[in-house]
Amino acid sequence: MKINTNSPITRLLTTLMLLVWTVFSVYPLIFSLFDSLKDNQQFYTKSAWALPDIPLLWSNFSYTWDKYNFGSYFLNTILVTGGSMVLALLLTATTAYVLARFAFKGKGLLYYLYLSSLTIPSLMLVVPMFFLFSDLHVYNKLSGIILLYSITAMPMGMFILIGFFKSLPHELEESAVIDGASPYSVFFKIMFPLALPGLITISIINVLNFWNEYQYALILLSDATKYTLPIGLAFMQGEMQYRIEFGPLFAGLLISTIPIIIIYILFQRQINDGIVAGAVK
Amino acid sequence: MTTKRKRSLFIASFILPTLVLYSLFIFYPIIRAIYISFFDWSGSSENMNYIGFGNFREMYSDPIIYKAIANDYFLIFWKVIGIMTIACFFAVALTRFRMRGASFYRVVFFFPNVLSIVVIAVLWRFIYNPSLGLLNDILSLIVQREVEIPWLGDSRYSLWALLPPAIWAGIGFFMILLIAAIKSIPASLYESAEIDGAKQWKQFTKITIPLIWEQVKVSIVLIVITSLNGSFAIVSVMTEGGPDNATQVLGYYLYQMGFKQYHMGYASAIGVFILVLSLITTAILQRLMKRDTVEVS
Repeated sequence: MKINTNSPITRLLTTLMLLVWTVFSVYPLIFSLFDSLKDNQQFYTKSAWALPDIPLLWSNFSYTWDKYNFGSYFLNTILVTGGSMVLALLLTATTAYVLARFAFKGKGLLYYLYLSSLTIPSLMLVVPMFFLFSDLHVYNKLSGIILLYSITAMPMGMFILIGFFKSLPHELEESAVIDGASPYSVFFKIMFPLALPGLITISIINVLNFWNEYQYALILLSDATKYTLPIGLAFMQGEMQYRIEFGPLFAGLLISTIPIIIIYILFQRQINDGIVAGAVK
Repeated sequence: MTTKRKRSLFIASFILPTLVLYSLFIFYPIIRAIYISFFDWSGSSENMNYIGFGNFREMYSDPIIYKAIANDYFLIFWKVIGIMTIACFFAVALTRFRMRGASFYRVVFFFPNVLSIVVIAVLWRFIYNPSLGLLNDILSLIVQREVEIPWLGDSRYSLWALLPPAIWAGIGFFMILLIAAIKSIPASLYESAEIDGAKQWKQFTKITIPLIWEQVKVSIVLIVITSLNGSFAIVSVMTEGGPDNATQVLGYYLYQMGFKQYHMGYASAIGVFILVLSLITTAILQRLMKRDTVEVS
């Protein structure tokens, strides 16, 4: 059967546009890599897309890591991302499980409450959040940020997981209960492992968001030793008014970006699934 | 303990910790934001004066607010047009056109979406750099003389200059949503259309668009909501609202008022206003885009 009704010209143009957009998507990262290996001299004397001179200035990376404190930003970001990921998983999976598989009073209300809170623009919360963090004595503390991140990620993850828990068979649960298993062990020993693909999907999406989060971190962390990578990079960009060091700036950009790109490449299928599942709700 | 009590206890133990934290970090701040918006307050507790709707009246006569609203909607409008056109085109190309390497393109086009908004802003600031940047370099090459346009520093260009990074970073996400929607359309519909001799464009307007309309709607609403909220970050790293408020948006103005000039009451009032705007805009959009849903039999 003839499937294709496209003319060769349409196909050629389409291929061309696909290729152009491929370059658009990847090239900025490639020139970041080139530019992270240059000294200032090369920025001023050559065009922006020129290849870096040999020897390549790999020392820009260690310079940024030490002198611009990216080592500490990196560690903070790992702590915040990892901590929030684990906590978000617990907070989300428990609620999603109960909402998916138990009937109780107020269930609809709770679901609707979480759903409607998704429409609140988070910017509205930055002023009260600043004072809440002071009241709770977690201003400038990573622990406060971890709590906040994991709770903000809750509703979206919950909607994805509810679908997941609903699709699991009831028989396993029932036979375990007959064998005398407590509801807790049913959850942790049976349901949790079965829902693993869904849990991984929401965790990956969460990791991307936590790693990149800017708005709350900007307001709630003012001590440079507590900065996460996005805040550190924005701060470094600001410093460029006083001393121009583009090579190290691009090194910092890559230090912030490479881990997330590795995660994306490893888990792009889960990310794809998570986006689709999240937006259908 | 009865089984029924045990069950209730279990449910409570699974729901309450999350609900308590959620109330503390989301519901309570919403109420507090509204509360603070009725005060003239610098943030230090001694001098918190209740002024009723004073902050909102002040907003009403503040020309920067109007400028920021106009800029916000300018960005939203062009982002919706830009992202939806390009994402739709690529989604159709990668599904209906049967191009080779479709999964490769899908992976690559999503690339900018995993970058932090700060990374995106730093990249594009460099692209726009007047003397060293890529854009002026390319333009110089084309016109064969030195081009040194300060894209972000000149109020004629600066707001427009915020669009390419925002659109660039948004395409992949919405393309994936639309691809999923197109893939869920039964192939038989296209097959019979082809037997009837319907060309690709006709298939697009008569089958694809009506059947993915729900997803298009969701995407547009998402762009609007994330844009009202998200313009803050890109403005904050790229222009700080300048030059001379040319790129001021409500989100950044809120930040500036609250955390640079310590008008916490006024900042909070802007926050409440952003909430109201976003609710109204979403409601209007839902009405405008209402279209009979097509049921696939």
